[in-house]
Amino acid sequence: MSFEPIWGAIIAWYLFLAGLGGGAFITSAFLGWRHPEAVNMHKVGHLIAPIVVIIGLCLLMFDAEGGLHNPLRFALLLTNFGSVMTWGVVFLGGFTIVAIVVVVLDFLKKSVPVWLDIVGVVFSVCVAVYTGALLGVCKTFPLWNNALLPILFLVSAVSAGAASVLLVAVIRHADEFNRVGVLKKFHFCLPIIELVLVASLMFITSFNSVAGWNSVMSLLVGQYAPLFWIGLVLIGLVLPTALETWLLFFSPKEFEESRKAHWISFGSDAGVLVGGFLLRFLVVVAALPVTITVPMM
Amino acid sequence: MARYGMLINTKKCIGCYACRVACQRQNDLLPTQDFIRYEEHETGTYPNVSIETVPLQCMHCEDAPCVAVCPTGAAYIGADGIVGVDEGRCIGCKYCMAACPYQVRVHNEKTGTVDKCRFCTVSAETSGTKMCSCVEACLTNARIFGDLDDPESDISKAIAETNAQPIAGDLTKSKVFYVR
Amino acid sequence: MSENAITRRSFLAGSAGAVALTAAAGFMSFDAWEQAHADDASGGGETKTVHTLCNACSSKCGFTAYVVNGRLTKLIGDADHPYAKGKICARGFGYSQIAYSEDRLTDPLKKNDQGKFEAISWDQAYSEIADKVKAIIDDKGPQALAMVQDPRPSGKYYTKRFMNALGSANVYTHGAACNLSKESGMTQAIGTGSYSSDVANAKMTMFIGRSYADAIRPSSVAALQKAHEKGSHIVLVDPRCSNSRVFADEWVPINPGTDLALVLAMSNVLVARGLYDKEFVAANTVGFDEWARALAEYPPEWAEKVTGIPATTISRLAVEFAEAAPAASIEPSWRGAFGCSYANSGETARAICLFNTLLGCWNQKGGALFTPSVSAGKLADERFADPKKPEDKLLGSAEYPLALSSMGTNLFAAEQAKEGNVKGMFFYNSNMAAGYSNTAYLADALSNLDLCVVVDVQMSETAMLADYVLPDTSYLERLELPEFIGGKVPAVALRDQVLEKIHPNTKPVDEIFAELAEACGVGEYFRFGVDELADAQLQTVGLSLDTLKQTGTAHFPEKEFAYGTAPKFKTPTEKVQFTSEACEKAGLSPYPVWVEPATMPMGDELRLVGGKQAIHSHTQTANIEDLMQITKDYDLTRVWLNADVAKRLGIEDGDEVEVSNTQHTGRVRAKVTQRMNPTALYMPSHYGCSSPDQHTAFDVGLRQMDFVPFHLEPAYGGAMTQEAVVTVKKVGA
Repeated sequence: MSFEPIWGAIIAWYLFLAGLGGGAFITSAFLGWRHPEAVNMHKVGHLIAPIVVIIGLCLLMFDAEGGLHNPLRFALLLTNFGSVMTWGVVFLGGFTIVAIVVVVLDFLKKSVPVWLDIVGVVFSVCVAVYTGALLGVCKTFPLWNNALLPILFLVSAVSAGAASVLLVAVIRHADEFNRVGVLKKFHFCLPIIELVLVASLMFITSFNSVAGWNSVMSLLVGQYAPLFWIGLVLIGLVLPTALETWLLFFSPKEFEESRKAHWISFGSDAGVLVGGFLLRFLVVVAALPVTITVPMM
Repeated sequence: MARYGMLINTKKCIGCYACRVACQRQNDLLPTQDFIRYEEHETGTYPNVSIETVPLQCMHCEDAPCVAVCPTGAAYIGADGIVGVDEGRCIGCKYCMAACPYQVRVHNEKTGTVDKCRFCTVSAETSGTKMCSCVEACLTNARIFGDLDDPESDISKAIAETNAQPIAGDLTKSKVFYVR
Repeated sequence: MSENAITRRSFLAGSAGAVALTAAAGFMSFDAWEQAHADDASGGGETKTVHTLCNACSSKCGFTAYVVNGRLTKLIGDADHPYAKGKICARGFGYSQIAYSEDRLTDPLKKNDQGKFEAISWDQAYSEIADKVKAIIDDKGPQALAMVQDPRPSGKYYTKRFMNALGSANVYTHGAACNLSKESGMTQAIGTGSYSSDVANAKMTMFIGRSYADAIRPSSVAALQKAHEKGSHIVLVDPRCSNSRVFADEWVPINPGTDLALVLAMSNVLVARGLYDKEFVAANTVGFDEWARALAEYPPEWAEKVTGIPATTISRLAVEFAEAAPAASIEPSWRGAFGCSYANSGETARAICLFNTLLGCWNQKGGALFTPSVSAGKLADERFADPKKPEDKLLGSAEYPLALSSMGTNLFAAEQAKEGNVKGMFFYNSNMAAGYSNTAYLADALSNLDLCVVVDVQMSETAMLADYVLPDTSYLERLELPEFIGGKVPAVALRDQVLEKIHPNTKPVDEIFAELAEACGVGEYFRFGVDELADAQLQTVGLSLDTLKQTGTAHFPEKEFAYGTAPKFKTPTEKVQFTSEACEKAGLSPYPVWVEPATMPMGDELRLVGGKQAIHSHTQTANIEDLMQITKDYDLTRVWLNADVAKRLGIEDGDEVEVSNTQHTGRVRAKVTQRMNPTALYMPSHYGCSSPDQHTAFDVGLRQMDFVPFHLEPAYGGAMTQEAVVTVKKVGA
């Protein structure tokens, strides 16, 4: 009997969008702190955060057919505080409320109090970490069941969040885009960290168990290898790093602020988003369960 | 209070699938709801070959990972130690399926909820047979069901006699024991 | 329908003791029945239990059906039934769902000019079929009609009576594609088509191509398990290591088609070393010396080259048999390796009986037994009198003189259809077109008929070729005639009606043939109900329909088998026949000698062998969702390929491969395994359904019979279903 993944693309989208929302909020907070002049980008981040998280939650509810048919059952989600998913609901709920309040304040042109920003950032981190911990506590899957995964998902979430804000900025607020150098430098670092974390995850998981080895092999050389190497590693991590390295460190300043360079950044940020989704998708579907029975010799 | 468990002797299992289909029929399950799944092994090289079929089903773990992760409390451990599913609480998030290392929880494509071996607590109520359907159906009597806390029960004696063990060591505190 | 009803309420209200008692007895007491009816007025769910017989295979095991609010719920094997012994197999549980299948035939169908089926009334179906029957009889006589049926309690009675009433002797079972060669060969040696190996009490039993764990009868599995647990020496001779391996001591992976050589060589050892039962042979046999001389040509060293089994193993097995005798035998098998598989199947069966004779094991504890059976006596009521015996003999009995007339060679009838000598064919519970021999040939043959009528529950491949398809009720929706069962304690069991008719326009087999007979003008032989006949038959053995309904199974302990002396053999010489005149007259050697299979794999070819999986019966169960889901979950359509051969061919486990020969080419995944003889490819016999109306089974896997040429075993008339070779290659390689 071959193993069919328990979750598929829908849950991968949910995990990605939840992380993306958290990342976008964190990006906004960062902008408010280091680039207070980038007012519009600040608002863009605030707006992206609740929208994508709500889309993600809708996907989650769509995937949970038992609840979809009986929506009242979703009220029961807060009954087992031993469950990571219950905590996730708390974090997502808290985050969504804060994010919506912030959007409303922005809309009303009122300033967002620092404490609320801090609360939002804390929720953001919790949400991003939760998406990793949700999988991480499942002993069944060696690819998930490790402490690296929440960190990897957090880094990826912040990276994707920043990418989403920068991407919108390229189209709508090019002037601001040119002035957020610190954000860009941080953003530049994240795929590199991610690359190290992904490599560590592969390395450690493959030594962990037969199932871990097989999961990693399915990514590196098996059925998921094309998506892994071309989609995640090349488009999602290496290409953005290469493009941004050139733009930030080797291209002339004039070029960096040219429209052409903006579109190159756009491509690199789109790559980060593709990579962010593929990371979740591949981790979700490539995980193989631990071996339960071995032949008796 | 009894502490129910099961013993499965794979040395008697001929891999005929009767337990799976009996379970499905007696509990009125869908064809895709297999509460019992099988792992098959062949060992040795031609022509000196041995074969083994290991039926796997809910181990009714005392530290059930499915119950730990279930966000709605749909997965629970009953007073008799039987791990149950309260379908009315299940949202179908499948987190329990991901958490169960034995991969024996099954998604019901009609209701969207998740279900699994109940030690036949359901059928016992409606049709006069108290024994688990798989135990009753097994052509070779490879299965014994009973009270693990009663040292005089058939299952307790058989476990002692055969040194039956949980299928995956101390992965969880399983109440299904195997002779292999 | 048996009125063992009880309401859910009263059921639950009953004390635990009463419930336990009910479960143990398997039916309700009269008090419970009365109470149930009293409760009916107050409404609430109704639970009913009915004893009936399974229809998932030929064993027809007894079980108790639980019906709640008119719907089938639980099935519990009847402890009293000699084959069930309290259990039913996966097929039994699963096949019960045929009653509720969405692919059931619900109305009589007629094929129109465009070749499409349209629903017609029963009256129209009967009258049109009757017109064609009469035209065929007028034109070519009743022998231009033939019936093929896989025997079931009512079916075998009504189909034969119908054909004989029309004056035709051509009633065939599915046997030519099942156990015809085996039963016919055995008859030449011991005067009867089979015997029972006393497996549970044996010191040694050899199974040739038969797997109790894969073609399951619960009592047989229990016997095998008991033997194993008692330390009996169990030997599996099979190109495939079957699931019976769990209870076997050794697997002898013989080259398929060469079982005869093994038996001849083991016989050689017994005779050459004087290890046979000389006293028994001297007293109870004819022709021993002639065979003994012929055996000199078959030493184990010779057989090693043919069978692939080391000579030392063959000698050892023979000696072990001699040591275990008389508590030892070669098991008679069913279809297995020599029911209908090869050009030498009949002779293999004959040789096996002779080998057992050398062991002196007939009717000895642990040996090979002729167990008694009971049958209905003569019926006084004239309505039940048999129609006049047809003047002619069954078609094919001249061409295949050794084929048992109780089975006949159905493939010969198909051949005659193709040649235009048979003009009308009826099929009951038979899917000849998909399961008996080459499918293209059979489609061609049946298309050539003036009249083809199929009675079935679903649109089989045979039904697709029919002019008229008549919808049978499922086995759960009808009462059938009593089924008499031979055994150590002979018994009789009853298929009772469990469910009310689900599709109102379906009819039970007894009604269909009675009404068809009426339309054909021979209705006078059918002026009784199946219940009347069942009761009359049971009265002759001291029972009644009502009493048998209560228990499902009844035993005849006064006829119990006793171990001891050799029986009187029903051969012409009343002895075991090492030499058979009939065989000689049929052009065979008077005593069994080595006969080459008709086809041998050359070069990269592999012999294509079939065989059952525990969850399916031929093509009959593939459309059952419960069972087909197992096939899908565990990828059971895969062909089995020896690991070394696979390596040579560059095929890995799970790869898609192309299987091809002169007859057919198809793709399927491969299971690469150590459990296969390197000269053969195993293809499960259940798949490749080509009837789109069977929505679950359609187009899943490959069909063995697509690859098998149309041919018949000389003298015996078997389908030679494993006389086919194929090549295998990886798709895309």
